[in-house]
Amino acid sequence: MAHKILRWKLPIALFCVLVAISLVGMGCGTQKVDTSKSVYKIGAVLSLSGPAAPLGQPEQNSLKMLESQMNAGSGVSGHKVQFIIEDDQSDPAKATVAITKLIKQEGVAAMIGSSSTGATLAMAPVAESSLTTQVCCAAGTAITKPVNKYIFRTPPTDSMAIDKVLGYLTGNLKVTKIAILHDANAYGTGGATELAARAPAKGITVTANESYGTSDTEMTPQLTKIQQTPAQALVVWGTNPGPATIAKNMQQLAMKIPFIGSNGIANKTFITLAGPAANGVVFPGGNMLIPSSIPAGTPWRNAVDKFTADYKAKYGKDADTFAAHGWDAGLILTDAMKTAGTNKAQIQTAVQATKGLVGIDGTYTYSATNHDGLNSGDLIMIKIENGAWTQIK
Amino acid sequence: MDKLARPLDADRRNYRTLAIVTAFILLIPVWARAIPGDVLHMDIVNIMVLAGIYACVVVGLNLLVGYAGQISLGHAAFFGIGAYTTAILCTRVHGFPTWLGVLAGAALSGAIGWLVGKPVLRLKGHYLAMATLGLGEIAFILFQQLKGLTGGTVGIMDIPPLSIFGLKFDTDLKLYFLVWVIVMALMLLSINLIRTRVGRGLRALHSSEVAADAMGVNTSSYKVQVFVLSAAFAGLGGALFAHFQKYINPESFVIAISIMFITMVVVGGMGNIWGGLIGVLLLTFLPQVIQALPQWIPGLPSGLQSFSNYELVLYGLLLILFMMFLPKGVADGLGRAADFGEIRARHLRDRRNAKRLEGR
Amino acid sequence: MGDRKQVRLLWGAAALVAVVVGFTLIYKGSTGLQWILSGLTVGSIYALVAMGFSVIYSSTRVINFAQGEFTMLGGMLMFTLCTRGGLPLWLGFLLTVGIVTLLGAGFERAAIHPLKDQSVITVIIVTIGLAIFIRAVAKWIWGTDPVKVASFTGDKPLHFFGASIVPQSLWVFGLTLLAVVLVFAFFNRTLLGKGMRAAADNPDAASLVGVSASTSSLVAWAIAAAVGAAAGAVIAPINFAAYDAGAMLGLKGFSAAVLGGLGSAPGAVVGGLVLGVLEMITAGFAPSGYKDAVAFLILILVLLIRPQGLLGKPADVKV
Repeated sequence: MAHKILRWKLPIALFCVLVAISLVGMGCGTQKVDTSKSVYKIGAVLSLSGPAAPLGQPEQNSLKMLESQMNAGSGVSGHKVQFIIEDDQSDPAKATVAITKLIKQEGVAAMIGSSSTGATLAMAPVAESSLTTQVCCAAGTAITKPVNKYIFRTPPTDSMAIDKVLGYLTGNLKVTKIAILHDANAYGTGGATELAARAPAKGITVTANESYGTSDTEMTPQLTKIQQTPAQALVVWGTNPGPATIAKNMQQLAMKIPFIGSNGIANKTFITLAGPAANGVVFPGGNMLIPSSIPAGTPWRNAVDKFTADYKAKYGKDADTFAAHGWDAGLILTDAMKTAGTNKAQIQTAVQATKGLVGIDGTYTYSATNHDGLNSGDLIMIKIENGAWTQIK
Repeated sequence: MDKLARPLDADRRNYRTLAIVTAFILLIPVWARAIPGDVLHMDIVNIMVLAGIYACVVVGLNLLVGYAGQISLGHAAFFGIGAYTTAILCTRVHGFPTWLGVLAGAALSGAIGWLVGKPVLRLKGHYLAMATLGLGEIAFILFQQLKGLTGGTVGIMDIPPLSIFGLKFDTDLKLYFLVWVIVMALMLLSINLIRTRVGRGLRALHSSEVAADAMGVNTSSYKVQVFVLSAAFAGLGGALFAHFQKYINPESFVIAISIMFITMVVVGGMGNIWGGLIGVLLLTFLPQVIQALPQWIPGLPSGLQSFSNYELVLYGLLLILFMMFLPKGVADGLGRAADFGEIRARHLRDRRNAKRLEGR
Repeated sequence: MGDRKQVRLLWGAAALVAVVVGFTLIYKGSTGLQWILSGLTVGSIYALVAMGFSVIYSSTRVINFAQGEFTMLGGMLMFTLCTRGGLPLWLGFLLTVGIVTLLGAGFERAAIHPLKDQSVITVIIVTIGLAIFIRAVAKWIWGTDPVKVASFTGDKPLHFFGASIVPQSLWVFGLTLLAVVLVFAFFNRTLLGKGMRAAADNPDAASLVGVSASTSSLVAWAIAAAVGAAAGAVIAPINFAAYDAGAMLGLKGFSAAVLGGLGSAPGAVVGGLVLGVLEMITAGFAPSGYKDAVAFLILILVLLIRPQGLLGKPADVKV
């Protein structure tokens, strides 16, 4: 008999503890916060661990830097700003949980996120159903095609990068036959598909379209297949380390055709990994990688110079394009909140009405039909020479 | 399935626990609503929906691993098959009823479980583990490569929310009740299964397959049956997941997810019917609690605040330490603690009685 | 299965591989040869990882899911010691192998040895936990970017009959050959090695000759860690080591080990090379996206048709 009572005691005790916690919580919650000087809370879901961590970490760094710089100054119309940053671990399911928590529990006025396309797409329904504006740092085409009222982005899209690449192929190289070699993941496949679809209109035939696995270490079979075709240039669409391996394999096979990469290799890591094989490689990247490509004295150049100097001073590393995506996302939202405060509907209107806002990646202009902000004019073609970047005019 | 035998004490305990747990589940949203968000820093209902979805998978997996003594390192594949089935049907076929999509997902998962289970379950131990791992990887590659069907790496967007006979489950709260009613139903099914001859056969199988065979238990048939059941449960969970997140892509069905499911079974307690549930709740809430810690205790050093870097380290350590010190999982630990409490209580009562007798 | 049937099976498998290779060479000429040479390079990497699996399995019947991580650590440590630390390559190599060997032995004592009486599933989960743990610590220390290790003798490609390989590939081949000879000699010619194999089947008899199951396990883990680390060190210039390199290597290495026969060092080499070549040929002929599926298909087919692989012995089931 006694042990039966004991068995009931545990659940009853647990229940009482829960009730006690609720009462305490309700007690705390009744304190109303003074809204006139309240902190503007912006939520951010970034990939701080997992495969997309190289994207999310710099974005987090930028947001923290923006927060401390703004709060040291006048804040947003006199209000301090707070970025509440969560890690989605590059997992769409965790991204959904994180954004739900930020919107429903933390009561953020707007959202930033995520670093990768999959997580961004998973978060979108939650943002939409709570009428929260979400500015993402991912480049996947599906995010803004079709345009979602509440989802905006900061990075240049893959389409813009492809614009630059096609322009380089027809304008500078003047080739008519290319081969494509892409990473089998979402980024690589998306880029390759779009490139292959748009090339014919520019008078370019795609003679081979091959793929490799993200963790592959030898691309020689694909390259030999490409060598058999009359391709005059090779476009590689992927992120490190694949393109570096390809550059080395091409050297090994004595392939002489030009290597055009994607914005996925717009970082120093590619040069470190590929070594001498990196020389001669061309890719589209943001102007901020070569600040001298922006005319001196312009607001853009001043912003880029200050950003790169501050970032290097605070974090000891060079700012890359991902850091820029994060900074610009924070900038766009805080700019909108200057007039809209924490009113969600007004934030959406204000962001959508953004015109000519100078960020680090470029100048942002949104509209009801354009939630991408930048255009291909905000990218330049870069060539690697002697282990350094030079702009191709 | 033969008639349920007269309930033993253990079974009666299980039914009573089921009742208590159901009561708790129903009350949690009430309690969660009472605490303001900026104190709690967690959306309990939202996390519980995800936990409930995972629980569908883990309950079945627990039957397979804990009771039948098999192993599967590829169950994310069935989770994915359920998800993709309902996603494809509901987004491609105009007006396809979502509840039918969910049933289709579970059914197709079960069918594929039967197809692969029959040959693969002839293997044992490490070989079975690796075969299921390989199958999981192949499923992932197919999700990625069959672009026309699955949308490839981009996945499927705009999956409609669940609606059953006109009732739309478009909020977390509504989904919460639906999902957990389903989980409780699956638990009831499992408890009943354990009580039948099939259940006893499974337990015999677990302790020694050869002996069970010798006693006339049709081991291969039982193994496949449980595998199919666990695949169907996983497919059910996957379909619910698709309608919850409204977007799926292959990233959600990688091998790390299979390992997460197995960890939940193992940490919760294999061989205990409640092990799966305990494991799910623990492993779904622990990362959230740890992420919320810096906000609960503002004084934490900033190094600890980027917790995500340490989470995987802790996860790996957790697996190792649990297997070393609590191989039967938390459920077993709780059970032993409860027994310990009982024994102490009885001991104290006896001492008190003895003292009273002496004092007289 | 009788000896004659086994020999016939082996000849049949060899013939099949010969046909595929021959077809590739004839139909694709020097391009085909390139695929095969690349396949042998990749295959040697798989072979070294597979050897680690085999060593632990043949002594303890345990599958170490963290084997790939030993290889990853080999590469990362070479980066820290040689690229960052400036140590000469030979010293970096020795230190790398030494450190990882100690790690492997340490883990065996700490977590595997106490679990010797637990079920198979428990041990599997522990090694999975170890893999996750090592990967997370590696990410903590080195971050997520791939790292560069200099090639031992430069990068100038060597040419044969229209195909080419980098000099580092020769180092990989060399290490594979050295490793298989040493491991085979150890397990078949030394008392300790033979005793360790015996300990897996009959621990009591083995301890009569002075080799306890405990020693067996410890030495096996040490050897596997050493082979894994050496593999990682020598592969790093080709592969760009990164914190997550261990996962795929572990899977493919295990497929190779199963194909060749768990518990057989020559089997690991055969399995690895065959797998590597088949992968490259598949990438050459078929849409390259399906290349990875080759490893897993082979794994499942072998497990279903002949679990002991090409050169292994059938597993005993403890009643």
